[in-house]
Amino acid sequence: MIAHINPVPAATIDQAPQASRWLTALGSLKLTLPALVLLALGVAVAYDRQGDGQATWPLVLPLSLLAVNLTAAVAGNRAFRRQVALLVFHLALLAIIVLITLGRLTYLRGAAEVVSGGEFEGLILRDAGPWHSGNLDAVRFGSEGFGIRYAPGLQREGTSNRVTWRDPGGLPRHADIGDQVPLVLHGYRFYTTHNKGFAPVFRWQPERGEPLRGSVHLPAYPLHDYAQEQRWQLPDGSQELWVMLKFTEVLLDPARHGEFRLPERHQLVVRAGDRRAELVPGERLALPGGTLVYEGLRTWMGYAVFYDWTMPWLLAACALAVSALAWHFRVKYFARPWREDA
Amino acid sequence: MELELKLLWGAIVAYVLAGVIAIFAVILKRRPERTVLGLMVVGLLLQTLSLGLRWLRLDHGPFITLFEILSSNVWSLTLIFSLAYWRFQAIRPVAAAVMPVLFILMGWLMLASPDEGHFPPTYRTPWLYIHIGLAKVFLGCVLVALGMAIVILLRPWPAAAERFARLPADQRLDDLAYRFMALGLVFDSLMLISGAIWAQDAWGRYWAWDPLETSSFVTWVLLAFTLHLRITYQTSPRTGSWMIVAVFLLAFVTFFGVPFVSTAPHKGAV
Repeated sequence: MIAHINPVPAATIDQAPQASRWLTALGSLKLTLPALVLLALGVAVAYDRQGDGQATWPLVLPLSLLAVNLTAAVAGNRAFRRQVALLVFHLALLAIIVLITLGRLTYLRGAAEVVSGGEFEGLILRDAGPWHSGNLDAVRFGSEGFGIRYAPGLQREGTSNRVTWRDPGGLPRHADIGDQVPLVLHGYRFYTTHNKGFAPVFRWQPERGEPLRGSVHLPAYPLHDYAQEQRWQLPDGSQELWVMLKFTEVLLDPARHGEFRLPERHQLVVRAGDRRAELVPGERLALPGGTLVYEGLRTWMGYAVFYDWTMPWLLAACALAVSALAWHFRVKYFARPWREDA
Repeated sequence: MELELKLLWGAIVAYVLAGVIAIFAVILKRRPERTVLGLMVVGLLLQTLSLGLRWLRLDHGPFITLFEILSSNVWSLTLIFSLAYWRFQAIRPVAAAVMPVLFILMGWLMLASPDEGHFPPTYRTPWLYIHIGLAKVFLGCVLVALGMAIVILLRPWPAAAERFARLPADQRLDDLAYRFMALGLVFDSLMLISGAIWAQDAWGRYWAWDPLETSSFVTWVLLAFTLHLRITYQTSPRTGSWMIVAVFLLAFVTFFGVPFVSTAPHKGAV
């Protein structure tokens, strides 16, 4: 029997070694070195541009180049594949790059302020990746107030904030969050911050319709000790007021240990157009279209909000990378003693 | 505080004596190695007492002020070098190159104010000890490698070659130096990871390109570059030594420069 063998086109014979050469070149350590230099430069540019929110893009080129270099090395370099620990280390690095990329596409960072006795009502600042699809609307929690201790020199010591929420079964839950301890709901992490202050609470009774409640978040205290004033729209948006908190007592003495607290006596200066009034809790102010009732003074807490579902996976990839690196060096160096007499 | 400072002065005197004897031992081709090791151990014991008393008095470790950071690093670097000195007898003359580097830190320490600083709430976490401990081991590893690199770089001068003749050949020194660099990469990586975990807890983000984070990461990249360069081009001990010097300088700036010029909250001042 005569076997019929189809002739292989000459072009295919040439392409195979050419592809192999490309793979070798792309996976070469000689490419790793300039890619690492590019990464260092990218880091410098990222550092310089972080204020513009442009810290990601300068790193994309060098990290992509390193990813291609590593993938080609894995595909084309048998010696590399034989060193299992080194291979695992580099694959874990690749996983870290992929996870950071996914994290940048899906993250959310934001800020929220919640008045004591009130509930989280959404973010006041929001910066999210284009693929962010978390369920922030489902997040509900309330703040029951906070305590902050100060050392002399107004150095903040510990922050403790009691928060309440309902678990998926509808049962009420509570926790004390603060330094190092965030509230985590639906993957969103809420961290207390140094940003907090006083919040006068009002009830607006329009001439027609239901009464509405609202609070003014005065500038952070004690950072803006002498600027406790704020412009504020009535809850129905019908007019703008100017509000200033007045008190004479020293709440936080820089020379002593102290604790954040409300003033024992205070007045609230309210200006609406040409009208000016000084209110104490419970007093009313008649305004065009309704009556404003000053209910009292509370506090508000500012939260840093963070969402990144990749974090536990990143930690696992980092742990794997370092373990594999340590294992590789143990095999390469430390299993072979350095002989002093060699 | 007076006793703490007296103990610290005692430690510095012991370290300086150890260093001076190590330098003269190389110059005079003598081997007073037990004396040098003994003085380093005495210095470490005195400084441990000094640091311990301060810790008890302030109720926090030496992590806040320039004085505390320099003091704790003099202690950790001397401890790591002493262990290497004790374990690797063949490289003991390297002390003549390492101790002058520590003298710089000691001189700076003497100029720093020993006043206390505020211990911020973000420091009340076990990650403080993990992160800083790993960083100290990393810098200690690079310091030991630096000692050997300095010897390799000095050897082309006949006077230095003659005085360091007792040390192993450059290739052997280079091999040991790069073992310490490899160990340094492991601890540097762990330091970055533990720092990211701490930053997430403390500031609600694991990475934000603040000056110290950026400088630490660039140091890691340079260390990775150095190890890749050595493998790729089988670099000579001299080239490898220059790379070790570069890594040490960048790490030194990261440890002792960036935190004190930066206004970012990476010092816990929030």
